[in-house]
Amino acid sequence: MTKRILTTLSAVAALASAHAADTTFDFKDPKGVNNVVFKLDAPLESINGTANGVSGTITFDPENPGAAKGKIVVQTSSLTVTNSVMQEHLQGPEWLNAAKNPEITFEITKISDVEKDGAKTEVDVTGNFTLNGITKEIKADAKVTYLPGKLGDRTGGKLQGDLLVIRSEFEIKRSDFGIKPGEYADKVSETIELHLSIAGSAPKK
Amino acid sequence: MKRFFYILAVVSALAIIGTWVALGSNTGWTKTKVATVQVDPVTEIEFTEYREGFVPGIDFLGAGLVGSVVIFGVGFLLSKLTTKKTKL
Repeated sequence: MTKRILTTLSAVAALASAHAADTTFDFKDPKGVNNVVFKLDAPLESINGTANGVSGTITFDPENPGAAKGKIVVQTSSLTVTNSVMQEHLQGPEWLNAAKNPEITFEITKISDVEKDGAKTEVDVTGNFTLNGITKEIKADAKVTYLPGKLGDRTGGKLQGDLLVIRSEFEIKRSDFGIKPGEYADKVSETIELHLSIAGSAPKK
Repeated sequence: MKRFFYILAVVSALAIIGTWVALGSNTGWTKTKVATVQVDPVTEIEFTEYREGFVPGIDFLGAGLVGSVVIFGVGFLLSKLTTKKTKL
């Protein structure tokens, strides 16, 4: 009987410890550092810009990166280009319709091909990408860097905890997301290159 | 009178080209914001900061030069009209 109780207790403890290793990182960044760079290179015009309205959470276990899950959200209204007229068009009803589709999201559904090298991990991420109100499954390479205890350096010691940095580069087709398919191909590239650079924080309680 | 328009056309063309060169010879579209790339020292993430600013592009240069040509054309037309009147 005692042996059974001890076995049950150790199993519960093991489960609890495994669960405790999962840390939720919050990607809302008041410093405005988290960003997505977008690049469109059409024959007649090149459009480059950034978006820094990033939020969302990812649950990550440095010992088991393949189990990561979560969702990253980018505010459509945070997309910025260096020409204010172009920015109005970009967010207006003709193109991304930021009023109707205020968020661009990516929700992780699967992590594969995990290659761990110290604090850095390279993975293939599959997930549901939503843009212009249309959701498609996409797959992208991502580099994940786990920085234990580095939150204090970023907050001037006000908060202690860990950081998780994610970098990813991938391409999408605007026609897949119903953004004027087949139109203006000479000025607005069909392929949109996206570079994601974000850091999430997990304060220690 | 025609001389006034010719001089105005040349001066405005030079001013347009001078402004375009002085503000960076930007061969893209005119920018109303200036982007500066920064690096976060802890995460080493590169991010862009924007500030209000004016960087004329090729659209500014083109429109300015077309304007100068129009001024030159007005001077040319006036000179033609003046010549006709004199002959009459």
